[in-house]
Amino acid sequence: MPGRPVSVDTDPHPYFKVYSAGNFGEVAPQRLSPMSWSLVGDPMERGTRALARLLWGRPPWAEGTYYVFVGYFGCRPYHNLAACCHLSQTIPGLSPQDVTDAYFEGIDPPAEVTALRATKVRQATGTALLLHELRQIGPRLRALEERVAELEWGLRAAVTANSPVALSGVLRDARGVLEEAWAVHILTTSGLVPLGALQRWVYRRLTRHGAEIAHWLSRPRELVWDRLHTAAATMDPYGPGSFLDSSFYEVADDTAPWRDYAVRHKRASTSAGEQALSLVDPAEAISGMLPPWRSKTVRALAVTVGEVMAGREHSKSLAMRTLHIYRRLLPELATLVGLDPQMWPYLTIREFTDLPTNPGLANRAAPRMHACRLALGTPMPEHLDLTGGDGVPRPWLSERPQAQRGVAPGIGTGTVMSPDDDLPDEPVIITCSSADADIAPLLPFAEGVLSERGSDLSHIAILSREYGIPCVVGYPGAASLPPGTTVSINGSTGEVKILDQS
Amino acid sequence: MTERTERSDGREGMAKKNTAMNVLVVGGSGYLGSAIAQACAQAGAEVRVVSRRGTATVGEGIRGDARLPRLGLPAGVRADVLARTTHVVLSFGPVAWTTGPGEALETHSSGMRSVLAFLREMPRLEQAVHVSSLLALGRAQGRVTNRELYTGQDFRNWYEYGKYCAERLVRDATDLPIGSVRLGPVLGADPRGGRPDTEHGLPAVFPHLLAGYPVHLEARGDFPSWVTDVSSAAEVVAKALTAPIGRATWTWFDPARPTLREVFTEVCRAWGVVPKIFEAKPLGWVTRRFGGRLGVAAELTDYAEPWFDLDPAVLHDIPEPWPVPEPDYLAATGRAMLDPATVSRG
Repeated sequence: MPGRPVSVDTDPHPYFKVYSAGNFGEVAPQRLSPMSWSLVGDPMERGTRALARLLWGRPPWAEGTYYVFVGYFGCRPYHNLAACCHLSQTIPGLSPQDVTDAYFEGIDPPAEVTALRATKVRQATGTALLLHELRQIGPRLRALEERVAELEWGLRAAVTANSPVALSGVLRDARGVLEEAWAVHILTTSGLVPLGALQRWVYRRLTRHGAEIAHWLSRPRELVWDRLHTAAATMDPYGPGSFLDSSFYEVADDTAPWRDYAVRHKRASTSAGEQALSLVDPAEAISGMLPPWRSKTVRALAVTVGEVMAGREHSKSLAMRTLHIYRRLLPELATLVGLDPQMWPYLTIREFTDLPTNPGLANRAAPRMHACRLALGTPMPEHLDLTGGDGVPRPWLSERPQAQRGVAPGIGTGTVMSPDDDLPDEPVIITCSSADADIAPLLPFAEGVLSERGSDLSHIAILSREYGIPCVVGYPGAASLPPGTTVSINGSTGEVKILDQS
Repeated sequence: MTERTERSDGREGMAKKNTAMNVLVVGGSGYLGSAIAQACAQAGAEVRVVSRRGTATVGEGIRGDARLPRLGLPAGVRADVLARTTHVVLSFGPVAWTTGPGEALETHSSGMRSVLAFLREMPRLEQAVHVSSLLALGRAQGRVTNRELYTGQDFRNWYEYGKYCAERLVRDATDLPIGSVRLGPVLGADPRGGRPDTEHGLPAVFPHLLAGYPVHLEARGDFPSWVTDVSSAAEVVAKALTAPIGRATWTWFDPARPTLREVFTEVCRAWGVVPKIFEAKPLGWVTRRFGGRLGVAAELTDYAEPWFDLDPAVLHDIPEPWPVPEPDYLAATGRAMLDPATVSRG
């Protein structure tokens, strides 16, 4: 369209106009290149739509040519908070606050669009279908991991042979894998919210200390990150762990300006820090406190929630591994098709794939580069309110002040340590602005995690639960605590005490 | 070397040594803690008591919190405590059997870890004693002695699990001279005076019994209850400091081994009430099933069958002479509940 300035922004949804960087913001780079967006936002949207279609038929609000569940404004990736909260209304017993607590740092949910509410029958069948889908995640993840490994082998063979045909073959195969990985990630991520609510509801009825127990019991038994960090230690450039060295989400993290937004990722050498004699787990301890059938129900729910948590981490690692394949594949292919190495991050993956048949698509990169440069100069709020309709991004502000929250139970005390520091000998609390699986190797040596960003079901919360250490999120200024400060955190109540003792 | 000869000299040597004994009682303002502080003071030690309230019946009271690093003591007090303390007693933590996992693990697991780290900083530490509970054994299978801690048992409540965690941590702290003294339910008049606490632990059962409601106990309660009185329990803990206990585990209970029925009967005698104890499985089932809604203490339903099979010979790990429990301490418990004014405060 002549006259209209080129923009990289997506169109806002006509009804759901409140966005949040929430779960993206904790771990993803502040800004994503258009290429990375097309590898992250696009398949996420497809995955969520497919899930919504499966569970609730074809809701009209989840169809159409605009993005429904995600958004890309000013080069920043967003989740559509209003749409996600609306999804919670399609499951009985779930409230929008459950969703914002789980993934969006507990901010106030936007007002519901009641006209779009699903009928009771739809709600009930949707929930049953969701549970059915959750049963399948184990086999799906195993099959998917095989496909990701095949891609990694394919990439190794193609790069070693330096064969353009083989590289294009990998590019073609990777797409389906990436979509499936994001689809499973969406499924586990959405499934955890109603499962958690169900667990708390059941526990309140069956046990004396209801919700408190849910906190202690839901722990993933084994997460995928340990295995991947071990694999990374072999330094195999095509191995399953090599993605841990690079930024999550951003595939153009070698190219300016995206390099500056890439989240640091550091690997610490890890030695198996197993406890000499481990304590009996609280999940085992509860078995004797309840009559047999209650105890079975309670433990079954705890295991289910723990396994879905593990599935969420597994699917994320697979998505990141597939992105890492793109990260190495795209520059190679760009040189092969004669594209400027600075330009490919400004194309979408679809345009990139179509380049050999339609070389004119390469011309789209230059105006987009200009648009991105403009967008990167505009600060984008954490939570975005587009209800004004004038295209001006306003921040969505919560009416209640957000308090820090404990997301993994226990008490931990130690000296403040940033994930980039070397491990001291004394007990440490890892403090950071946001955290992801990159700090997994540090967790066995830490007494707790204190983060500025995060929600109940953030990756860092799940990881802390695996290691049985407390985690408190939403504590402003955590990353700027002076070194040497001693802090005590209570992961059950969210209490943080600064103990200025030397 | 000189110390050792002094110790074997008998009472004179013991008294001489005790003047150098500087005891820190962590959690010493409670029921058992204050008795322990008194027993240590009677043994001639200098006593300091750390508690959240900062009060002490004997010795110096210090405000602190076991859940915080270095007991949450201010720098000046901390330096003083670290420099002078030679002996430590750990008797902190909630005693409620119905406590939740958060509270139980907060003190018994997180708290114990931070206290053990604090003990490692004490240059003059000679002996520490952790006051554990026999209930850490949960529903232990088979015959248990001082050696066993976890036999694959399950736990009746989070209190038992918390006590298990604490003792596990103490046993794993192999670099510290710390031993454990396991006690059963501790009864007897409150050493701080006043009406005894009938909210928590075994005493939570008494109001139900005294109100005359029927109670189901397997074998009509003719199984050992492992109770002891508070003064002899405190003396055993003090003895563990002086003997010293080393890294061993001791168990103390009333050597007369009153059964649960005897305990209930004796406590109710002061009230002129005979507890209605039956062996009636359906009654037990009803209490278990609906007791919670009717206000029956969970302590009663959880402990209605024999608790575990403890070898009574474990008492012999404690060097003789053993302290003698106060005669009639069970009835004294009942009397103390009846009217605080009648309790002799000696």
